[in-house]
Amino acid sequence: MKKKRLPLLFLLLCVTSQVHADDSYPNWSLKGFGTLAFTGTDSKNLGFYRDTSQTQDVTQAWGISTDSSLGIQIDASISPTLHATAQWIARDHSGNFFEQNLEWAFLRWLIDDDLTLRIGRLGVDVFLLSDYRNVGYAYPWMRPPHEFYAYLGLYHFDGMDVTKKWNVGDGTLSLKSFAGYSHNQYQDKVTAHTIDFDFAIAGANVLYESGDWRFRASYGIAHNLSEPTKQLLNAMNDPLVKAFYPQISQLTSKVGFQNTDNHFYSLGVAYDDGVWLAQTEASYIIFAHDADIASGYLSVGRHFDKFTFYSLLGITKNFYKNVNVPQPAFPVPALLQLQQTVDSAINQIGMDEKSVSLGVRWDFYSNMAFKTQWTHYWLGDNGKYLWMKPAFGASSDSVNVWSVGIDFTF
Amino acid sequence: MKKLILITLLVLCCANLRAEIAVICNLENDSKQMTKQEVEEIFMGRSHLLPNGDFALPLDYLDLRPEFYNKLTNRPIEQIDAYWARIIFSGQASPPMKLQDEQTVIKTVSKNNGAVGYIDSKNVDKKLVRVLLLLK
Repeated sequence: MKKKRLPLLFLLLCVTSQVHADDSYPNWSLKGFGTLAFTGTDSKNLGFYRDTSQTQDVTQAWGISTDSSLGIQIDASISPTLHATAQWIARDHSGNFFEQNLEWAFLRWLIDDDLTLRIGRLGVDVFLLSDYRNVGYAYPWMRPPHEFYAYLGLYHFDGMDVTKKWNVGDGTLSLKSFAGYSHNQYQDKVTAHTIDFDFAIAGANVLYESGDWRFRASYGIAHNLSEPTKQLLNAMNDPLVKAFYPQISQLTSKVGFQNTDNHFYSLGVAYDDGVWLAQTEASYIIFAHDADIASGYLSVGRHFDKFTFYSLLGITKNFYKNVNVPQPAFPVPALLQLQQTVDSAINQIGMDEKSVSLGVRWDFYSNMAFKTQWTHYWLGDNGKYLWMKPAFGASSDSVNVWSVGIDFTF
Repeated sequence: MKKLILITLLVLCCANLRAEIAVICNLENDSKQMTKQEVEEIFMGRSHLLPNGDFALPLDYLDLRPEFYNKLTNRPIEQIDAYWARIIFSGQASPPMKLQDEQTVIKTVSKNNGAVGYIDSKNVDKKLVRVLLLLK
């Protein structure tokens, strides 16, 4: 697929190099970004995903779909204050290839120099990196810290955001609030079926940028409008099941998601003085069924001319309690199967992951960066929700992930 | 001969590195001189307005671009490009227009009221453009 896109890429490069040397309106531009990367692990049976939206994992057999992507963006300035942007990214994402990969499609209205309104499809902006996670060229790592971002499959929503800026001290304080509707598709890792998640989302964040520093605090809420476990709930509520396996019917409240709320709280700091760089974030997510998630990471790096060396530590854990799913009194295959499915729906959502990474970024050419990264993951007992586990049997509790690739913009 | 070319190139490069950069605007622009921070705000996409309230049209001149941003922000051009990748692709702002040669910069600035560009200070023609700031 990548190869087929190369001629297109060159065509785009030619188009973008033509600049209109005036400020007549409307004017437009075509830009893009991408990553071509190979990723692999040292595990035979534990598959690595960049995040939960993906369909393909990688193991010992290396793959390019994990960290590779190609994005194009069309910007149109209609007047000095009105601007339109659309961005589409070719990448491994579950569900509808066109719709789910349409990341941005919005109108931006500069109401005042310090007040901006955007309406349309927008990036979900709950953490420091969340609305440019695919733009590898914009950050030093191979991918956003796994413990912090892999769980966040929510990329975009349809709605609006408003940003107001103030000059405070030597820096800029901005307050952004957003609200809208988000339709997301995920692939069930076991059945490979596509599952629809629909959320009403809203949130606000405060960002203070001054010189080498960026400080951020944010809150977001995602209200589940859909019921992704509808089929399972129907099976559990079946009159026959209720009659012969009543214990399982009592567990329906532990399975459903509809009308539950997820709350995202986070704090982040990023520092880059041109020589040293550091970034850290901490988040707490209040999640359905008391499965709250606490995550954090810390990265420290140093620039040496065109090279950037970095280290990264990450941790995530959720606090769900294992629920005993009793055996059916009549151990017929259908009921045993139901017991297993309910057990995995309730008890296989554990995240317990720590990692250490070392990597280097080399800006070897204008708008191109070579990167390589090694990460060692420790996965706690029953804490492999972000990974592809074998259907049967044990899988390793620690795994190395290597990757090498090139990020570019044009 | 080869040595001569090399030496000439080196001299040219060094001369280029030591060049003083003039930030220029249209003659109609009635803004007073701009501070380094005000110029940075505009070229980094954080502000869209000139001190006189007009919409700014920042222009990059490719040959001097690395040196200009280095003088302005103290950072190498790779870090500026990575910064812009974040701003552009998270839909926040558009980068300055990139122009290939100095004459085009001067021409564009002289034709557009809000334009702000930068050129080698030796090549400033005060009949065409006004200097807002000198970066040494």
